[in-house]
Amino acid sequence: MARKASRVVDVRQAAESGRDILSSTAGTLAGMEVTLRNMVRATVGRQHVTIQYPEQRKPYSRRFRGVHILTHRADGSLKCTACYLCETVCPAQCITIEAKEVQDPRVEKAPSRYEIDLSRCIFCGFCVEACPEEALIMSREYDLTALSRGPETLAYGIDQLTQRPEIAAYGAGFRPHMQYPLVESYLPGEPIPPREG
Amino acid sequence: MPIVTIDGRQVEVEQGTSVIQAADRLGVEIPRFCYHPDLRPEGNCRMCLVDVEGFPKPVVACATPVVDGMVVRTPHESPVASKAVNGVLEFLLVNHPLDCPICDQAGECSLQDFYMHPDYGQHQSHVDPVEKVHKRKRVSLGPRIVLDQERCVMCSRCVRFSEEVSGYAELQFVHRGNHVELTAFEDRALEDPYAGNLADVCPVGALTSRDFRFKRRVWHLSHADSVCAGCSTGCNVRIDHFGGRIERVVPRRNPGVNRSWICDEGRLSFRALVAVPRLMYPRQGATELDWSEAVALSHDSLRAASAAQGRPLAALASASATNESLWLFRQYVLAAFPLHRLAFRLEREIAEVSQRQDNLLRRLDKHPNTMGALHLGFDGGEGLDGLLALAESGAIEGLLMLYYPPLVGEESKETRERITRLLHLVPASVVLTTHELPYLTAAKLLLPVATWSEEEGTYTNYQGLTQHADKAVPSRGAVRPAVEVLGDLWHCATAARRQTRPEEIFREIADSVPVFRDLTYASLESRSATAYPPEGRMHYGQEGFAGR
Ligand code: SF4
Ligand code: SF4
Ligand code: SF4
Ligand code: SF4
Ligand code: FES
Repeated sequence: MARKASRVVDVRQAAESGRDILSSTAGTLAGMEVTLRNMVRATVGRQHVTIQYPEQRKPYSRRFRGVHILTHRADGSLKCTACYLCETVCPAQCITIEAKEVQDPRVEKAPSRYEIDLSRCIFCGFCVEACPEEALIMSREYDLTALSRGPETLAYGIDQLTQRPEIAAYGAGFRPHMQYPLVESYLPGEPIPPREG
Repeated sequence: MPIVTIDGRQVEVEQGTSVIQAADRLGVEIPRFCYHPDLRPEGNCRMCLVDVEGFPKPVVACATPVVDGMVVRTPHESPVASKAVNGVLEFLLVNHPLDCPICDQAGECSLQDFYMHPDYGQHQSHVDPVEKVHKRKRVSLGPRIVLDQERCVMCSRCVRFSEEVSGYAELQFVHRGNHVELTAFEDRALEDPYAGNLADVCPVGALTSRDFRFKRRVWHLSHADSVCAGCSTGCNVRIDHFGGRIERVVPRRNPGVNRSWICDEGRLSFRALVAVPRLMYPRQGATELDWSEAVALSHDSLRAASAAQGRPLAALASASATNESLWLFRQYVLAAFPLHRLAFRLEREIAEVSQRQDNLLRRLDKHPNTMGALHLGFDGGEGLDGLLALAESGAIEGLLMLYYPPLVGEESKETRERITRLLHLVPASVVLTTHELPYLTAAKLLLPVATWSEEEGTYTNYQGLTQHADKAVPSRGAVRPAVEVLGDLWHCATAARRQTRPEEIFREIADSVPVFRDLTYASLESRSATAYPPEGRMHYGQEGFAGR
């Protein structure tokens, strides 16, 4: 539909003239054109634009920012080195980390506790961008529900950020540094390719 | 005296001052690794190169004395010096590991700060990370210090500290070129009782504190300027805390008191605050009271036990209390008990106050405010023994005590036994204290008060220098600062209200006690001491995160 040039209408005058009732009805109908067209399509043509959620789901973009995933190294250990950069950058202050010493001399430091309170998270993805290790990425999981509001239910610890079945089901989302991690990172359940040579 | 021009600004300095000192006085920042104001200049890192008019090449600011009429341009102004410093930095980073995410120094690391500096930092590295020379990481140097050889920039500050300052001389460089390593002989544990300072003098993360290891990233910490309460030296310190918990204590530079150092015992004295459970609520035997009840009961029982029967009240205050608490303590005793015996020492030897324990900082007197107590008219002569003798003869029946357990070391067994005996002998006893101490349980009333780091106040050190300690962390439970509790007791005695803000009390002290005349909180010297190098000087804010 061609866009009409906008016009200043004096509403008091317009309301008084009967002729304008007709034209305003026409305007309303014109505004509903898209809705009406889809109604006809859905009812007569059986082409639906809505889906039967949650039985049916739409595919989301690979850059979707959903629930976080903690990745791991080829040997299965967490990639996170507890540098606290994600905790530092998080505008919602919903990440809590506690560090511990590990015996592997190439690693030295790892989180003993890593918790994201998803009920406070605004899914901005800053944490993922800040991570120097590609240890934290996001998934395409978007339907986050809990039966109560307390932090116990939506505060995901290391276990939930690495082992939920949903991670494999939805796949990885926002992962801005995928091109250049120094050490490969793997998703939970992702097959690790055999070493070459 | 020579006048020198640095980046267009002139300053007059004493003969023999180095360029870097003159620049520091002007507030012109010159990058440096090996220079430290309390160590002999060595000039080995070449980071402080400046351009001096008439000199053919850049020279090191830390080892070049100023001469009259010298015109110096720092890397901020001079492209020559900037290029030279940039080159030095590139060399220092050739074999430097990519450790910042797990390095405890990150956030207060000179190397990071200098690299990020727009005037002389940043370059494209010519070295592939896989070609870097590797050295040993996570080398344990005893209970205080962890060494990472890869992160060392060979500035030798630590070597000079252990040779010149503590005298233990336990660190040295070995090998040559790319392979130079800092090491202790056979990696033996450092015996130095001042080893904690090594982590502070190290400008990078090569020497880090084992106690603070991986506790917190430094940019999350909030700071409070304080004075160590571990002994009568009164070293200036900064308390770094997060979420109401003290994470570490570092020295502040005060050339007249502690220079840039503190002893390890003082550094870890904050651990003593949590080693024993805290007294959380006012208590009579096993019953918890609320404050108004407890204060009224304390005052009434002491009155009943002393004034009514014509016996003096025994008043014993620990010399670990602040001047403000001691002053109110004395005011209360004077106002409410015409007959009293005022003492402050638990042991008799006042002479200890300025006796050295070693030839650097530590002193035998483990009370931070013995001098203050003396100045405020506490008669030390009688002490615990005198009161005990009086109690045994039945001459005293009421005891008011303000007691802080020592932060360094323990109260001697003998003293603990004498305190217990005194509390058993005296029928009415009120003890203001901080912890659940077994030797105090015989007290009839226990009132919980704030410790060092939880209250503001001043301490007077062995030199007679009054220094200010700020409040760092909040108290838990029903704990209140001693000044407030003593203010309430005073209210019971006189029905008048009084000011209990430490600053106001100090003004009162200054007005009444000659030694404190003309002193105010604002004028106390310790308030201008800062940690060296001044943390947050370059890019980062001074305060920790808001809302934490
Ligand atoms: S997505 Fe944003 S709000 Fe959520 S944890 Fe990451 S940084 Fe914080
Ligand atoms: S930024 Fe990455 S490596 Fe650092 S603490 Fe967060 S998840 Fe771990
Ligand atoms: S010493 Fe400084 S630059 Fe080196 S890893 Fe540690 S924080 Fe980073
Ligand atoms: S360990 Fe630190 S203080 Fe010692 S030489 Fe190396 S960088 Fe300097
Ligand atoms: S600070 Fe001058 S050479 Fe190191």
